[in-house]
Amino acid sequence: MFAYILRRLWQMVPTLFGVMLLLFVLFNWVGGDPSYILAGKSFSADTLANIRHQLGLDQSLPQQFLIFVRQVLTLDFGISWSTQQPVAEILASRIGPSLTLALPMLLVSLLLSVIIAAIVAYVRGSLTDRIVTLICTLAMSVSALVYIIAGQYWLAHKLGWFPILGWSDSLATNLWYYIPLPLLLGLVVSLAPDIRFYRSCFIEEMGHDYVRTARAKGLSERTIMLKHVMRNALIPVVTSLMMSLPYLFLGALLLERFFGIPGMGNEVLNAVDRSDFPVIKAITIYVALATMLFNLLADIVYKLIDPRVQLK
Amino acid sequence: MMKKRMLVAAITALFTMAAQAADMNKVLRVAFNVPETGFDPAKVSDTYSGAIIENVFDPLVSYDYLARPAKVIPNTTVALPAVSADGRVYTFKLKPGIYFAADPVFKGQKRELTAADYAYAIKRHLDPTINSPWSFLVDGRFVGADTLVKAAGKGALNYDSPVEGIKALDKYTLQLTLTEGNYNFLQILAMPAFGAVAREAIEAYASNTNAKPVGTGPYTLKEWKPGSKIVLEANPNFRKLVLNGQTLPKVGRVEVSIIEEEQPLWLAFINKQLDISGIPQAALQEALVIDPKNPLNVKLQPKYAKQGIQLERKKDLEVTYQFFNMQDPVVGGSAKEKIALRRAIAMAFPRSETIAAIRRGQAVPMNYVIPEGVAGHNPAFKGAVKYDPAAANALLDRFGYKVGANGLRTLPDGKPLSIEMATGTSGIEKQWNEYWQQAFDSLKIQLTFKYGKWNELNKANRQNKLQMWNLAWGADYPDGENFMQLLYSKNAGDANSASFRHAEYDRLFEASLKLQDGAERNRLYDAMNKIVVAQQPWIFGDTRIRSSLAHSYVKNFKLHPLLNTTWRYIDIQK
Amino acid sequence: MTNHTPLLAADAACPASRSLWQLGWQRLRRDRIGLAALWVVAAFVLLALAGWLGLAGSHWRHEVAKPNTPPALFKHYGPATVELTAADIDAAQQHHTSTADASAATGMSAEDDPLAADMAAAQAAAAKTAPASTAVPPHDGSLVCGSDSRGRDVLQKVIQGTATSLLVGLSGALLAMLIGTVLGALSGYFGRRVDDLLMWFYSVFTSVPDMLLLLAFSAVMSRGIDTVIMVMALTSWTGTYRLMRAEFMKHKCREYVQAADAIGASHRSRMFRHILPNVTHLLLVQFSLLTVALIKYEAILSFLGFGVGVTQTSWGAMLAEAPAELLQGYWWQMAAVTLCMSLLVTAFSMLTDSLRDALDPKVQ
Repeated sequence: MFAYILRRLWQMVPTLFGVMLLLFVLFNWVGGDPSYILAGKSFSADTLANIRHQLGLDQSLPQQFLIFVRQVLTLDFGISWSTQQPVAEILASRIGPSLTLALPMLLVSLLLSVIIAAIVAYVRGSLTDRIVTLICTLAMSVSALVYIIAGQYWLAHKLGWFPILGWSDSLATNLWYYIPLPLLLGLVVSLAPDIRFYRSCFIEEMGHDYVRTARAKGLSERTIMLKHVMRNALIPVVTSLMMSLPYLFLGALLLERFFGIPGMGNEVLNAVDRSDFPVIKAITIYVALATMLFNLLADIVYKLIDPRVQLK
Repeated sequence: MMKKRMLVAAITALFTMAAQAADMNKVLRVAFNVPETGFDPAKVSDTYSGAIIENVFDPLVSYDYLARPAKVIPNTTVALPAVSADGRVYTFKLKPGIYFAADPVFKGQKRELTAADYAYAIKRHLDPTINSPWSFLVDGRFVGADTLVKAAGKGALNYDSPVEGIKALDKYTLQLTLTEGNYNFLQILAMPAFGAVAREAIEAYASNTNAKPVGTGPYTLKEWKPGSKIVLEANPNFRKLVLNGQTLPKVGRVEVSIIEEEQPLWLAFINKQLDISGIPQAALQEALVIDPKNPLNVKLQPKYAKQGIQLERKKDLEVTYQFFNMQDPVVGGSAKEKIALRRAIAMAFPRSETIAAIRRGQAVPMNYVIPEGVAGHNPAFKGAVKYDPAAANALLDRFGYKVGANGLRTLPDGKPLSIEMATGTSGIEKQWNEYWQQAFDSLKIQLTFKYGKWNELNKANRQNKLQMWNLAWGADYPDGENFMQLLYSKNAGDANSASFRHAEYDRLFEASLKLQDGAERNRLYDAMNKIVVAQQPWIFGDTRIRSSLAHSYVKNFKLHPLLNTTWRYIDIQK
Repeated sequence: MTNHTPLLAADAACPASRSLWQLGWQRLRRDRIGLAALWVVAAFVLLALAGWLGLAGSHWRHEVAKPNTPPALFKHYGPATVELTAADIDAAQQHHTSTADASAATGMSAEDDPLAADMAAAQAAAAKTAPASTAVPPHDGSLVCGSDSRGRDVLQKVIQGTATSLLVGLSGALLAMLIGTVLGALSGYFGRRVDDLLMWFYSVFTSVPDMLLLLAFSAVMSRGIDTVIMVMALTSWTGTYRLMRAEFMKHKCREYVQAADAIGASHRSRMFRHILPNVTHLLLVQFSLLTVALIKYEAILSFLGFGVGVTQTSWGAMLAEAPAELLQGYWWQMAAVTLCMSLLVTAFSMLTDSLRDALDPKVQ
């Protein structure tokens, strides 16, 4: 197990290198030149050259890449090219709000979707199952954009049930005052596909021979459902959960933009808009690391749930 | 009115010890729709950062809040400066007893504002390591400054070495000597970028001056979450400033949120989560009753008027224009058939329709390079071509832009004709592009769009790679020179984005620099405008009229043509 | 975007592929919901075809009514805003000039204009031809879905949007599947070095946030349907890759593949003539899942400003106009698009479910 983890960690090095290469190529190619923003509306060629020099843009590409490598090794991405604030501070201030929205959403969504999915899988083919499946399918068919626009307009503005937008420094205020509407809209978007997916996982498991064997042994349906089906069906659930975790850091871009949540998603968009390469680099590297770590974690959890899984 | 203003000036001139007037329980909530960048006056140039800087720092002179047209008045000085006969030497006398906001760098001492602080602040704009976006306003302007800049090379400026043109004669006297007379100099100094900074604060926070603004202005920066929230608090050390018998500022705390989407911005104002707000384009008709006979005659929709919401309007000191790259082989050049091509495109663009549909009538067509409200504007001049797509087509026919087999026009020499227009990707830009597409369709000229971020397009334009692009220019100071220089050949590729080069225009421009605002200069400006109209480097756009709203409990709400914000004058009485 | 792939692949005892398809079709025919969904999807595809061929919705750029006319059925529910016209602006300007000093009006005179003679001739020529008739738009208040901010028929736009969005969804999915299948096949079939390399490529792509890839790809390419398709394919091939890699790994050890090897079938033949038909049913399901995801993806792309250009429209482009319209109370464009999109996506999802059941070899 330990050797396996070590090997997997070691395998992350080339992947990370690939990510860096891809990012570097992409943003030197298309990322835009931030010096044209910093220089203002009227400037001389000297000013431009000076700015490029200060940002290190006048160095050769291999040199710039080496700087990038050093930044990744030290996890110090310097200061933002746009606001000149330390990148670490920017990210630190953004991660909190992102998680304040994403974690409750993940937990509530997971809990609700697994329970509902298990119930409808259990009563597979019944009217309840059909209605739930239909509702989910319908709910999934509407664009997230429509939910957000319409939700904010009607629920917050017309009905006045929620504040339009906002964010405070207090976690409690955020949780009970500002989060509910974005959370609700986020749930509407994420719940339906999750229920459908988990339902199919459960049904898949219920069709296996071992379930039939268990039934034949005379075990109660409840025991079969909880002890056998649940346990095995959790594997894909865990995988999909782990795969979605890194995206928590990025947050829900649209929700953040419409509800004034100072999270990571909006920061990415602004950074790209301003060609703020240090911020883009930092976010990408952290997300990539998180993705890889959670993938590893998913595999380990796999093993813990299902001892038959061989870790290669 | 006049009397009152003089009284105000007299009272403002009286200074006493600083007294905290602001009520810290009063909070003013406003929003920006674009993220700010930082608060070092020498490092940033965007409007939104400027709005904060304006409230934290004090320039030498500023604008009267009430006077229209805008009038420069002393700010931290006793009076307007004494100017030498040749218009080159300005001597400012500072009011004693003005103190910087408390900050740890001052180690608990009260730090008085001195003439040296202004000298330092101005020199910073020349420092090669700072790369001030405002350096174009000070480069070559002060006697002896060039040698200092040259000596610095790529390194930091030596602030201690004396400069003839920027001199603190004593603690309260600042003497600025210009290389040549400049009638706009005071207006330049009134810009927030030239507010006084304390050298020890700048040096102590050298690595992060953007986050640590320390000034003498009415507010101090309390909290900054880049791109999401800015909180200002009244500066207890602020000098006594009185308007209409009330000590300013009144409001203890200003909270600025960044809200980029139109829907939440507007709904937040309507639901009283914001106290003051502009009206997003989409909400204009929802908020205002616009008289079709005269679209500038607007009033609030009854449902909002009933709530006591206040409406204030101002005409921006700006022009918007679509320029042609005059160095481009297809759309540029001064040959007759090139002028005809540009003229035809201008004639095919349904400008009035865009003003009706996109601006919702809240703009006036531009007819002169200098907009209304800026010295040198000529309201009688009609520079824009008439909308006439049929004549535009006939004009192209005359010059041999024949319609080919594919239904599209070719160049007179038979080569295919395709024009590329640079544009951003926002929804509003898409609305404009639909009209441009319509204009080009009506001319049967192929149009493609080059999409890009602003900085990428700006770079491409400087490298002479664009053909057409839409820009807006807002006044840095309300003088015609700030606009006429947009087509001066020495600014080609920079502020002169069309890279327009015309010897006669240059000659007239250089002559106009030597003149003060008046009939003689206006004549030159008229002649220059005729050249612009004849050569058509620009398609004239429009000048927007902005509406701002405030809830009933916001008092003293008024817009100023040049000041970004008027927070210090505002009171809240809920 | 594509996390929810059916990784739980069928472990069939390899029946002849034709019979699986026949069996599937039989099952689908018995499934009334599935069949209905199929008809709906087919209807949409027909509509889209008509859109592509210019038989329907080709006049969507014509301004046929006053701006923001409510749908015929809801004539009285639209906000009573007066829309300004170009004539209003012109009239106001005229008025403004005459109240000022008309005699002082100056501008460029003939001697200043190098084109004076040509302009006069052109204006004369233009005057001779038919006077520009800016006739009042014909239908007012008779449009089924109302009109948009430029007076264009929302129904026509929706039809054209359907064509574009379906095209984008289908071709995006097809392209993504193509990339995913080829790479997945190579990776799963050859294993070792090839697999290592492609797996590396895959993990790099999955580790970079989708949104960054999207912003980056969109920045280099111009706007248009082709760009949207490319961007989508480039950011969503990974799910298919993973699925196909696993399938090819599994199948290459099967007897039938080894038998093919024995009779001297080439690698290519073994990969694409022998294994591929046995996994097509998975691809079909994957394809419909992806199509649905991409149709919704396009809406977000358009909102962020990376949608189609001004000479094209799509559901996403129409939805991107929705926030501004809703603020003014113009709900019909959003409603029309949402309804249409919802119908298609629901039908597509149900068809996918039915297909999955019908093609599942384990279900008897």
